[in-house]
Amino acid sequence: MRKRPIATNDPHIRALARIVGEEAILYRKEDLIAYDCDGFTVHRHLPKAVVFPNSTEEVAAVVKYCHEHELPFLARGAGTGLSGGAIPLNGEVIISLTRMKRLLHVDLENRRAVVEPGFVNLKLTNSVAHRGYYYAPDPSSQYCCTIGGNVAENAGGAHCLKYGVTTNHILGLEIVLPDGEVIEIGGNGVPDPPGYDLLGLLTGSEGTLGIVTKITVRLLKNPEAKQTVLAYFDEVEDASQTVSDIISAGIVPAALEMMDQTAIEAVEAAAFPVGHPKDIAALLLIEVDGISAGIGEQIDDILTICRRHHVREVKVAESEEERARWWANRKTGFGAMGAISPDYLVQDGVIPRSRLPEVLREIANISRKYGLRIANIFHAGDGNLHPLVLFDASQPGETERALAAGSECLKACAAVGGSITGEHGVGLEKKEEMRFIFSDEEILAQTAIRDVFNPKNLLNAGKLFPTPGRCVETKQVSSTVK
Amino acid sequence: MLSLTWLDELCAFLSPEQMEVNESPHPLGNSGAVTVYPQTEEEIAAVLRYADRQGKKVVVMGRGTKRGFGGQREQADILLSLENYAGIVEHAAADMMVTVKAGTVFGDLQRELAPYRQKVALDPFWPDEATVGGVIAANDSGPKRLGYGAARDSVIGLRIVYPNGTVIRSGGKVVKNVAGYDMNKLFIGAMGTLGVLSEVTLKLRPLAKYESVVLLSFPSGDVQSIHSFAVSFLDTMMEPICFELLTPTLAERLTGRPVYTLVIGFEDVEKAVHYQEQWVERLCPKAASMAVLAGEEAEAFWRTFYTIAPNGRLTTSGGGVEAAVKIGVVNLDVLSVLRESELIADRCHVQIEAHGGLGHGLCQAYVRGSEEGVIAAVEELRQMAVRLGGYAVVRHLPFFLRQRIDVWGGKPAYFFLLEGIKRKIDPNKTVNDQRFIGGI
Repeated sequence: MRKRPIATNDPHIRALARIVGEEAILYRKEDLIAYDCDGFTVHRHLPKAVVFPNSTEEVAAVVKYCHEHELPFLARGAGTGLSGGAIPLNGEVIISLTRMKRLLHVDLENRRAVVEPGFVNLKLTNSVAHRGYYYAPDPSSQYCCTIGGNVAENAGGAHCLKYGVTTNHILGLEIVLPDGEVIEIGGNGVPDPPGYDLLGLLTGSEGTLGIVTKITVRLLKNPEAKQTVLAYFDEVEDASQTVSDIISAGIVPAALEMMDQTAIEAVEAAAFPVGHPKDIAALLLIEVDGISAGIGEQIDDILTICRRHHVREVKVAESEEERARWWANRKTGFGAMGAISPDYLVQDGVIPRSRLPEVLREIANISRKYGLRIANIFHAGDGNLHPLVLFDASQPGETERALAAGSECLKACAAVGGSITGEHGVGLEKKEEMRFIFSDEEILAQTAIRDVFNPKNLLNAGKLFPTPGRCVETKQVSSTVK
Repeated sequence: MLSLTWLDELCAFLSPEQMEVNESPHPLGNSGAVTVYPQTEEEIAAVLRYADRQGKKVVVMGRGTKRGFGGQREQADILLSLENYAGIVEHAAADMMVTVKAGTVFGDLQRELAPYRQKVALDPFWPDEATVGGVIAANDSGPKRLGYGAARDSVIGLRIVYPNGTVIRSGGKVVKNVAGYDMNKLFIGAMGTLGVLSEVTLKLRPLAKYESVVLLSFPSGDVQSIHSFAVSFLDTMMEPICFELLTPTLAERLTGRPVYTLVIGFEDVEKAVHYQEQWVERLCPKAASMAVLAGEEAEAFWRTFYTIAPNGRLTTSGGGVEAAVKIGVVNLDVLSVLRESELIADRCHVQIEAHGGLGHGLCQAYVRGSEEGVIAAVEELRQMAVRLGGYAVVRHLPFFLRQRIDVWGGKPAYFFLLEGIKRKIDPNKTVNDQRFIGGI
């Protein structure tokens, strides 16, 4: 970072610069623009400043300063969040944790590692891969997203069907509370620390209860064997039924992903095409892992189930290289939408698996109703849908229509007993949709917990919970949409 | 004996056969002047609403297996039993999800699920007596925690009756859900101090096609060779469902041989299980001997295993007292805990049977002996756990001894947050007052 003398009279900026150093603060408008949104780009707002602390002590000092001077603030990792959790709605001081990116400790005998919040997800796996270990949660953005951000959002990924999401892999946290006090929970990775499960509560609290400055995670040993199956279907219904039957056959795949025709069109037009036929209705990407002696039996069962449901073509990856290509094609699926649409909005509803066919039909209806294409790329095995609403923000009114269509997709998920978000978080984007699944009393029960940690509500205010007293709020689309 | 002037007031929402006046408190404490047996969520809510408004204290109980777990009150006003609030509300087999009323006996639930080749992936003690609500509230788990995970990994939704009678839902019916705070977590292991669990929604796992238990005994008692074996085995790609070490005292009870014994469980397709047994054989040190239990033998082993912990429903036979201590340390430190527990038993003149998972770090120690001996041993176990960077929680102890020892072992630095949560949800301290850490 370049060092430039502080050229402002704003006493807060000067004070924050004294804490983190003049080279570790941004406050000029042109420097702040990059921080006006995260991976959710339809709302934007400039922060007051961005600070880059380098230690827990610096984070605590910044927080203490903000708390004393009643400055709103929030934490930010790599900014890959998809629900707007790091958007400085209230002109926050952004505490960027990207300089705190050290791998502090690895203890393979006890299968744990300690990282700072800015440590990139995939780097952890890469650091222990030579010994045959890995860190399980694998969001599609894992090559750049940070583990601190993963904790805030309780991030998932394709392989959480078998191995669980972030919360299942967090053993300890060091947290700076909104008044600057530092606490440590389950510090060295001892399970079940006595008391209410604050680790569980903090994970997925979207940066509204505290700022994580150190994380102890569980590492897993690589499975002995892995096999990946790709199956093409002419009917979405058949693909959905295959998903249900695989699960009810007692198979727990490591991953069970689905893409529909629109999604396939996009991934084939983008950077990692694998030659999927363009005229199929849906494909399934199925991975099983475990003890090699048991894998063959599971693959045979999966192939039988696919054939029972009229699969057009089904193949097992013949090499690690082929498997990697299939996964690159899937994991870059969201970005691939750029190849067929100027803009897209991704939703994140969850449904009971057995309701897949009817909800996909409903999403198709929503697509027709709003006159917008909707692609589906999703974690079928755990019912976590990702409808991608394609739109063109330069067309007047289309952004609003896309948002409305996305919201209606979530309503369809809620209507079958599902949830409005499986792994992306509520953030700014879905806070009003919280009412689809929670009563006012239930939302109050949650904000009561927030008040225990964050009584002044200076930390990441205006996220996660609907605006009180308004049952329906029309989404205000920011005028800064490009 | 008791003239409970307010008993009539309960009749406004309960029938007389749902109430029972108690003659004397239970030796494990956590009793009530009157026991009530609600059959509906509305009745649970009515009891709590009444108590909360009238300043009455309520103790919550399933079937009482954990009655000796925490609690500084010998007797509250009302003992709310969920014994008659049982049964499956919904089993969506295709979605691998089940919702049950909290009073459902854990083993009954597993038996209902078995014909669908499904199970709840949890292995609590006393499954045929413990209720689902109690298992969740006390966060109970056994050796298979290594492969199954804990209650927090299985619970996907809860209905909780708050102390003021409001019903709050947390989570949902889907396996992946990050909408709002993960409130489920607050109530799991909260010892009923934040409300009464009414319904529990659990994700299910397929029943294993094949299961075996490998018993590896180390007659030399050489802890170093167990350590070396454990490190090398845990570094392989094998997937044991449990990797639990038994002290010689416990091994004698379970296998007839008083030597350190590793219990290594496998659940998979048959071929994969046998393949893993062969791996154990290959890595097994010469001095150790190996036995494999499969099918009914394995089942019988586990049936016995889950009855080794003290059970609050049973009266202790003979003289002396019984305590159960849960000790949490970093995984491989389990070896030190078990070794040390033998020395503590000698020093305090008590009997200690202990086991712990080298892949997850949780140990259970069962202490039997004189009052003074048991108290001294519990204190020493705790000192040792703290020395190792862990903790010790007393899961079972008669009431009169719970007044002499802090079963939770002191308050963490962030206790004010725990207290703050309790105050928000239960400001009048109506439910399970003083049952949990730091007297909350």
